[in-house]
Amino acid sequence: MSVVGMLVRQLLRYGLYAGAYILLISQLSLFDRGWCFFYLGFLLFLPLGTPVAVQLLLGFAMGLTMDITYDTGGLHAAAAVLLAYLRPWVLRLLTPRDGYDAQDSVNVHQMGWQWFMVYLLLLVGLHHLAYFLLELGSFRHFGLTLTRILASIAFTSVAMLIVQLLFFPVRRGRG
Amino acid sequence: MRNLIAFLLRYQGVMLFVLLEVVSLFLFVTNSTYQRAAFFNSSNAYLGVVLARRKEISDYFRLTDLNKQLLTENARLRQQLFPPDFAHREADSLPVGRDTLGHVIYRHLRPLGAVPGVGLLAQNAKPKPAAPRPDTLLLGGARLAAQDVAYPLVPARVINNSLRSVDNYLTLNVGAADGIEPGLGVLSAAGIVGRVKAVSAHYATVTSVLHSKSAVAAKIKRDGTFGSVKWPGDDFSHMLLDYIPRQNRLVRGDTVVTSGYNAVFPEGVFIGTVESFVKEPDKNFWTVTLRLGTDFSRLTYVYVVHNRPRAERDSLEASVVAPEPPTPKLVVPKHPPR
Repeated sequence: MSVVGMLVRQLLRYGLYAGAYILLISQLSLFDRGWCFFYLGFLLFLPLGTPVAVQLLLGFAMGLTMDITYDTGGLHAAAAVLLAYLRPWVLRLLTPRDGYDAQDSVNVHQMGWQWFMVYLLLLVGLHHLAYFLLELGSFRHFGLTLTRILASIAFTSVAMLIVQLLFFPVRRGRG
Repeated sequence: MRNLIAFLLRYQGVMLFVLLEVVSLFLFVTNSTYQRAAFFNSSNAYLGVVLARRKEISDYFRLTDLNKQLLTENARLRQQLFPPDFAHREADSLPVGRDTLGHVIYRHLRPLGAVPGVGLLAQNAKPKPAAPRPDTLLLGGARLAAQDVAYPLVPARVINNSLRSVDNYLTLNVGAADGIEPGLGVLSAAGIVGRVKAVSAHYATVTSVLHSKSAVAAKIKRDGTFGSVKWPGDDFSHMLLDYIPRQNRLVRGDTVVTSGYNAVFPEGVFIGTVESFVKEPDKNFWTVTLRLGTDFSRLTYVYVVHNRPRAERDSLEASVVAPEPPTPKLVVPKHPPR
């Protein structure tokens, strides 16, 4: 795939994830406790070989978009940058026995359920932990925050899983 | 030099990470100070259009609910407009009204609106408008001038609203072009809403009272005890009332209104009713839970209110308090709780 094609593709993904989140998904909530951080899909499903610096900048850009929309200053950005920084570590942790192929991508059909679920839950969990504790700024309502974190992890993970099952190719090849 | 470049390349990830985190946290921390306007916020022109459009679409799906809200408000206003039929009746033995010359007013002899003691000429010269427009608006139980040219009460539409974060904000569809400026209070028909934080030409960002650093100067309407209303951060329908001394008696259902000590809200605007109160052993004050009058989950129409003596009062208070050393006597605090 050419570089320009790649850029256009990623730009489109950025617009789709951010647009869907702002226009529709941010209004949904699970039991008034959990939210779907749908825009994380953009960062989670980036190509495996993306350089760390690029990932960090993309995470910052995506987070700042959300911060401007929801007046949270830099809260989304801080958590998203953390996610972008942790992603290569988690990928390294989960390397298959014979390493990643050139065609591998974050795809539940290619990498298997076990790999994908560990990847998803680990990164989403760390992101939500950082996000909600940072938002709270203290440990006052810790029980409430914990239920928020757990409900949000469930909601976001299920949404990401649905995105994977609906929109990602079953056969390898397109990457 | 080569080593330096190699070093930078080797640790580019870590350094960029730290840099971006510091920037984000800086933005976050400066944003959550309650008064200061943030550099980036949702009242900028492009995002305002997106949010307004989103609201238009989502409104379409709750037209019934909106209509119902407006109908109930209309019904309440009509009730005030049409007084019961005995409202103008005069008591037969109690003191009756007197006009400015000391004559007893017999209202049943004169049609309502005729001016006593003024000839036909004056009446002809100044014909009364058929239906006088209301000059005050009842917002949260307080009467506010609706048509004062110098201090307009600006109706606005909420186009973005968060209520489940620790710090909540709203976006309104009015801006500097409508005379909105940062620091003005925002009310709804049911009570207080927040305070304008930043404005663009056509949109405004409002810090909701559901904010971890919000504090509204309040008083209990029954006996006038002053306190301060805060939001504990968990539930958007309840707030806490602080600084009510333990010796005071409290009653469930007491009305709590703004005290007018801070120049953001006018005096007497409804905040909520006392729902429960407990005496905690380690505190000198009651811990009072209020049920908020404003239902933030279906906030649609709000009013931005100008509190008129504000600039003058702020400068006066600053000039009075500034040169003195802080004394513990009971004066209006220099930085009133917001």
